[in-house]
Amino acid sequence: MLKITGGKVYDPKNNVDGAVKDICIDDDGRIVATVDGNARTIDASGMMVFPGGVDVHTHVAGGALNFARGLVPENQRAARKFIHTPERRTGIGGMTPTTFATGYLYAGMGWTTVNEAAVPILSAKHTHEELHDIPIVDKATLLLMANNEIVLDLMEAGETERARHVVAWMIWASKVYGVKAVNPGGVAAWKWGKNASTLHEPIEGYQNVTAAKIIAGLAQIIDDLGMPHPLHLHQNNLGVPGNVTTTLETMKVLEGHRAHLAHLQFHAYGGHDWGSMKSEAATIAEAFNRNTNLTCDAGAVLFGDAVTITADGPWQHLLYELTGRKWGNLDVENETGCGIVPYVYSDRHLVNAVQWAVGLELLLLIKDPWRVFLTTDHPNGGCFWRYPEILQLLMDVEFRKEQIKRLPPEAQNRIVLADIDRQYTLSDVAIITSAGPARALGLAQKGHLGAGADADITIYPEKPDGQGVLFSYPRYVLKRGQVVVEEGEVRTVTEGHEFVTRPAYDETIEEYIRPLFQKVYTMSFENYPTEIERLRHPDVTACK
Amino acid sequence: MTGTSEAGVNMERRGVRIVDTFAEAFDMRAARVLITANSLGWAKTGAQTMTGFATSVIGCKVEAGIEAELAPEHTPDGRPGISVLLFGFDADGLSHRLLERIGQTILTCPTTACFDGLPGAAERVNVGGQLRHFGDKFQASKSLDGHRYWRIPVMDGEFLIEEKFGVQKAIGGGNFLILGRDQDAALAAAEAAVEAMRKVRGVILPFPGGMVRAGSKVGAKNYKKLTASTNDAYCPTLRGRSGVKSELPDNVNAVLEIVVDGLDRAAIETSMRAGIEAACRPGVVEITAGNYGGKLGKHHFRLHALMATA
Amino acid sequence: MITLTLKEQPVVPLESEVLSPDVMASLSNAAIRALPVYLGKTQCRVEDFFTVDGEASDELEIRGDAKQVKWIGRGMSRGRINVVGNAGMHTGAYMKGGSIEVSGNVSDWLGGEMSDGFIRVGGNAGGQIGAAYRGSRGGMRNGTIIIGGTAGLEVGMRMKRGTIVVGGLVRDFAGLEMKGGTIVLLGGAELRTGAWMNRGTIISLAPIPLLPSFMYAATYNPSFLRLYAKHLGTLGITIPYDPKDGGYQRYTGDTSIPGRGEILVWKPHAS
Repeated sequence: MLKITGGKVYDPKNNVDGAVKDICIDDDGRIVATVDGNARTIDASGMMVFPGGVDVHTHVAGGALNFARGLVPENQRAARKFIHTPERRTGIGGMTPTTFATGYLYAGMGWTTVNEAAVPILSAKHTHEELHDIPIVDKATLLLMANNEIVLDLMEAGETERARHVVAWMIWASKVYGVKAVNPGGVAAWKWGKNASTLHEPIEGYQNVTAAKIIAGLAQIIDDLGMPHPLHLHQNNLGVPGNVTTTLETMKVLEGHRAHLAHLQFHAYGGHDWGSMKSEAATIAEAFNRNTNLTCDAGAVLFGDAVTITADGPWQHLLYELTGRKWGNLDVENETGCGIVPYVYSDRHLVNAVQWAVGLELLLLIKDPWRVFLTTDHPNGGCFWRYPEILQLLMDVEFRKEQIKRLPPEAQNRIVLADIDRQYTLSDVAIITSAGPARALGLAQKGHLGAGADADITIYPEKPDGQGVLFSYPRYVLKRGQVVVEEGEVRTVTEGHEFVTRPAYDETIEEYIRPLFQKVYTMSFENYPTEIERLRHPDVTACK
Repeated sequence: MTGTSEAGVNMERRGVRIVDTFAEAFDMRAARVLITANSLGWAKTGAQTMTGFATSVIGCKVEAGIEAELAPEHTPDGRPGISVLLFGFDADGLSHRLLERIGQTILTCPTTACFDGLPGAAERVNVGGQLRHFGDKFQASKSLDGHRYWRIPVMDGEFLIEEKFGVQKAIGGGNFLILGRDQDAALAAAEAAVEAMRKVRGVILPFPGGMVRAGSKVGAKNYKKLTASTNDAYCPTLRGRSGVKSELPDNVNAVLEIVVDGLDRAAIETSMRAGIEAACRPGVVEITAGNYGGKLGKHHFRLHALMATA
Repeated sequence: MITLTLKEQPVVPLESEVLSPDVMASLSNAAIRALPVYLGKTQCRVEDFFTVDGEASDELEIRGDAKQVKWIGRGMSRGRINVVGNAGMHTGAYMKGGSIEVSGNVSDWLGGEMSDGFIRVGGNAGGQIGAAYRGSRGGMRNGTIIIGGTAGLEVGMRMKRGTIVVGGLVRDFAGLEMKGGTIVLLGGAELRTGAWMNRGTIISLAPIPLLPSFMYAATYNPSFLRLYAKHLGTLGITIPYDPKDGGYQRYTGDTSIPGRGEILVWKPHAS
């Protein structure tokens, strides 16, 4: 039993905005209304108490990450080293942290739940093994679905009912939490060396299936299955100047459905080529504000080194051609693929400067903080352990304007950021880093400090650190009621839980899948699904 | 230019009167270029072509000449070579002249290579780094021991040139005049002076054969716009002419001037002393020097001070 | 001078980046003895493996068969290390200045990514001399490495500048992906010299097998080679240059990139 006393509590879900109140935690690691006098106390006077951070879109585990780690040994040499201690395992930080280090880094900055945004069914076992090795934080996962050829073939044949059962079977077979769509149809087309740059033309190899049909079809299936998190969509034409039109069209396609638009920053560009590229964040924000069926995460960019890792094969190839340096490309048979390109965002580069501004513009122009969440699409836009830098830019308009002045003058003509005076409040911060993503993920026990919530709590000093950045160094981080981090040091290493969704489906669908599988896959059907036993602490939600 | 004969201490050397006056010389900037080739002959051909038409900064933009022959042991690449000195008003101008002259006369001369001869000079100008473009991107650079060189592909193989050349403060316009009984005597004395002066390092004699037969004065008396004109005070045929105040003693019928540029005061003093000493011979009446009253150039070389120590 | 004499042969390689003038120049004898060295995952002390004489000097002498001692002189910027015996992997890696002399042999990665300084090895060396570590965009950025004996694979891989001279035969891929600088092969090489070469110069005094992507250009006596000959002469190394003795066959490559590098092979006049 534990009581946190004297701190200023920021719990937007329960309408607490800085009031000094006690937070009580029971022995099961849940927040309760009261505890008896024997409870241990943490004195949080002069500090701020937040619900632990929830990262709604990140890439931290699995085949693509591991391939990336191998592609950049020079990054590993330069990265922060975690030397083992009796409590802590070894690890390497940097842009593609190893598993143990990932947990220490997230927990060290007060984030307690992460959503691994890209899992192929074929290598789901690998992802779960790596997720298990990430200590402390709880995990959710998203299954790559929008280029799955068994599903696309069913959509082509108009077999929507069967498609729903197949998708549900695949979700349970992979032991994931939600569904991800990446460049719908485009990654399938990439297997032919092509892409899907329009929403309404048939995908390469198909007559009827279009990107729009995949998007609408999957969104419908997910709503029909009653999944807690809506379709999580990495739209077509990521990163392409002028993709504002694709994004607006996609929003139209999604009307009537729930959906989450991933890393929206990469989808808010105007212009028609790299030379004329500019921000269209204002247009996107305006449309987004109207489309209340949607949530999004920022996918903001920070200047410095990054490693781009996505399933968007054609985009990654284009980026490789722009940089002329390293490129890795993996094919996942029948399902998806991935591309990896190390990249540096430079504040001298016109396009990068615009990208930097667009992420912030979206965060500031989207009115409802419950619908826009803090991410960098780690490690694509920047490393997750730099989130506090973004919070500083959102909260301090003077500091933000100083940074804008350092951009190349031509970039300043392409953005609207300098005209925005809004500053994020601490409550806004609690929403975009925790309460909002928890709600969007459908995790009712996360993102708040009311009774019944998991006691995932981060306690920050009220004043910024030496570099003026607030939120960098929590005084305490609690995970399910245990103090895991104290004054920047990992004290106790716990094991996190994995959230899994079990949608309903007709068991006989396996008779359809099995022969098809045997025909087109190189592995044997029995080896394909991930057994529940592979997950050490699964937290299964049955839907409907 | 007026020569000033002052009443005062008399000095003579082997019957030749040394006038108690001074040469007035100016601040300049200098560069030294080392040209090597397969043979001394080809290095000399390149050097002579490079230093042609370089008698005066006024008309030629640069003053240049051969400083010395270099034995193979004393050149960077161990081949025979020539060192050339160039003098101009400033480093920027010099860098243009180096580029023009090396580009047109050394780059084009068979078997040559070209190196900086002032490695200690703090100011550096980029010559090889400009000339490299002639290589049309087929050139390559090499760095060795803190020096960077460019290898430019040419028809006879490769032209090797150092990237940066040093520029240092220098002095231009050291001079003395040889007043002879007749043209032959004046010429013989001037030739002897030049031969002695060419043995001194750190100096060049930019004019033809090292001497000037048409010494000039600033401006003109009878043409408004002329910047320089014949030094009528030292022209023998103008003695007695109205409007001319001649500086020539009665028995002088020909005058030749030696002009010397040098890297520093000591070099000019050494060379002037050697030259004047050699010029004091039969047929020479007087040695004097040219100045502007001491108001234009800050380097003064008093002839008596120079020869007193000889 | 500080003298470190190996008294105990480590069972697995010893990670010893503390063996550097930068580390020891201001330390007392006791402090030197207490410096950490890593035997696998166990942290030990210098004195567990070396007897230490002297203190507070930027001249180090290491005596013994230190072929299992890694990272000698790592990142050093000054002073001198003299190894009387052999040295292990990564000797002089990331070096910025000063000098290292080894009387015996060294292992792989000598002078890896060094940015300046001087290394001379009397015996044989391993592979990846002055090379880029895996994934890095460039190898040594300057400096001089001289090997008396043979060398292994990928000598000077991705080097940017500087000079490597090898007395004996080198193995495959000398000058792999070279970006600049000069490699002098006094004793020839095995296969694929200059593969993926972008820029730089490889000089071989003996005929070597060349990739088909290297194109013969001309036989000549380049001026710059005389500068090199003079420079190497001061280091006790002789290379021919006189037209009376022969000429260099220039091969341009690696044209598969297309690279602007060159391999110069000495061809003496028929004797």
